Amino acid sequence: MPLHDVGYRGWDEQRTPTFMRWWIITKTGVRLAFRSHWVKRSLLAAWLPILYWGAVFLIVENAILQDTRQEETLQQRIEYLKEQLDKSDSPEESAEMMLSEAQDQLMQFQLGSQQTYVSRVLGNWLAAVPQANKIADAIASGESHVIRQETWRWLFMTFFRYPQALMLIFLIGAVAPGLISRDIRSRAFLLYFAKPIGRWEYIVGKLMIPAVFLVGMTTLPALVLFLLAILASPDLSVLYSTWDIPFRILLASVSLVIPTCSIALMLSSLTQESRFASFSWFAVWVLGHGAYFAVMLSAVIRLRKPPFSPEVMSNSAVKNWSSLSLYNCLGDAQTFLFGFSSFEESWKGMLVLVVITIVSLGILYRRVSSPVRV
Amino acid sequence: MAPLIKLENITKDYATKRALNGVDLEIHSGITGLLGPNGAGKSTLIKLLLGLVKLTSGRGMVFGHHLGVDGRLIRANVGYMPEDDCYIPGMKGIEVVQFSACLAGLPDIEALRRAHEILDFCNMKQERYREIDTYSTGMRQKIKFAAAIVHDPGLLILDEPTSGLDPEERESLLRRIQLLCEDHGKSVLISTHILPDVQAICDHVVIIADGRVRLQDSMSNLSKTSAPSVNVRLLGDSDPFLQRLTASDLRYAAAESGGWDITGVHDDLTSVIWQCAEQSGTRIQSLTPAKNSLEEIFLSTVRETADATS
Repeated sequence: MPLHDVGYRGWDEQRTPTFMRWWIITKTGVRLAFRSHWVKRSLLAAWLPILYWGAVFLIVENAILQDTRQEETLQQRIEYLKEQLDKSDSPEESAEMMLSEAQDQLMQFQLGSQQTYVSRVLGNWLAAVPQANKIADAIASGESHVIRQETWRWLFMTFFRYPQALMLIFLIGAVAPGLISRDIRSRAFLLYFAKPIGRWEYIVGKLMIPAVFLVGMTTLPALVLFLLAILASPDLSVLYSTWDIPFRILLASVSLVIPTCSIALMLSSLTQESRFASFSWFAVWVLGHGAYFAVMLSAVIRLRKPPFSPEVMSNSAVKNWSSLSLYNCLGDAQTFLFGFSSFEESWKGMLVLVVITIVSLGILYRRVSSPVRV
Repeated sequence: MAPLIKLENITKDYATKRALNGVDLEIHSGITGLLGPNGAGKSTLIKLLLGLVKLTSGRGMVFGHHLGVDGRLIRANVGYMPEDDCYIPGMKGIEVVQFSACLAGLPDIEALRRAHEILDFCNMKQERYREIDTYSTGMRQKIKFAAAIVHDPGLLILDEPTSGLDPEERESLLRRIQLLCEDHGKSVLISTHILPDVQAICDHVVIIADGRVRLQDSMSNLSKTSAPSVNVRLLGDSDPFLQRLTASDLRYAAAESGGWDITGVHDDLTSVIWQCAEQSGTRIQSLTPAKNSLEEIFLSTVRETADATS
């Protein structure tokens, strides 16, 4: 018998509020998931892209700074030449020519007709990146706050769209499949439902486990990246042109988290074997995107144009069947949320996400209820 | 005194089966044994009491809270120990109990303190720091029991609490249950197939069969009505012996397990049986107490139900 054994004692203290009980499930689930080395490694890997994106932000901000300095230099020169001309009673013809030349340069610079430093730097870099044409107009405008606004939004969208979306598939694939399937197999649901916990609290608590990891691999790195970008900027005036980006990041995170976590948990609830849920999770992505590629391939063959060319991408079949791929649907939502597509262009993908989420949650609720009912 | 649990004409239908059929039941404080054959409706009754399944018809109250309406309030005051293994893989014993306490509303630190206290009470030593996947059946039973009582519930519902325990642990657990009831005023509802457990600690017995409550009485009343009986195995011809038994006002019946179950109103039944054997020249191979009285009551109740159904 332990020395401090006090036998059984009653407990009649204040209990914690019921509306936060789901957090206990989440907290415990996150702690358990974090014991997996794979999850730790995936999370670490998910932070690596911010190094690359951080470097890009540094380049963009430097390029914008260079242009600002160039514009200031031109303006100073014009001021100087004007002063010289005013002082002189008989101005030389060459001085007037120099002034006129400088004013032309400034005008061209401001109109963006001359190739600015930012467009040279970004132009070279963006030439290798798909969909870069979406910010080409902004860069061509030559106005630093427009360039910054558009470039930052575009960079954050690509950050969500490419590295984080791919990492999401692996991280959720490592965390979510066992969350409910293991509870069904080990009958742990009795441990939950014998306590004052409702089914929705259980579902929300479980949903929030992968959601916490997703926030840790998308929202937090994106916000850190935003902070780095602010720090890499010349002054705090950047906040004026980029104030909306944190909100867009949050909305993009929500659009990413809710459907993916719902699907992953629904798949987990369909089986007692987490490996089957894992397999189904990856199959959803691979088969969906594979089907979309098949449609695109048929358009490529029909139109005799390369894949992803504007002709192929604007083909009605490719557009209509784009929603087959969950990846594309998430992409539609993100391009809309970051302001690179209109609602008319994105509604289909977003509708698919909403429908998938509702259906997944419905199935999840039924599956969670069924072991208790029987 | 108002009953802890009061059920009136409770019916529960599943898709193809009526699990409970007009159950009327009152359970008062103390330890109550819930008995019944497999498929009798015990588990459904427990789930109903916990508010996990909805009533088809009827009404009931647990701790003054309405069934089907105040499920959360009921579960806050009830500790449930399920029959099956239920654990979260990867968790340590202490974590499971702490987690249960948190789910019931104990703050984090308090839950940990309380979990240690309860595991001490359950005589769980350093094993509490091991992952529950590595536990033996007995250890898991202890963890389930600890998780059921960690939030200090007023009513404990224990489903087969002693299954898988060695005799010593079984004895300890029964002692703990009695202690909780006698020293801390807890009420306990035990669903079990191990009738000696019920006989050892229960104040009341409820027998449920085919979805109905077939018997509901105190243990003391049930003991009174039961006549003493023994099981006798004989060597050689049994007819002369059985004739002597009849002549001595003893009743007998062939036991399913072999031999003869002999029942009578004599104070010293064993002596009378020996006398009969001597007089009839029959040799007795073994003489053991027959199935205990509760088992007899249980079996006769279940048989009556089966006969009525057929």
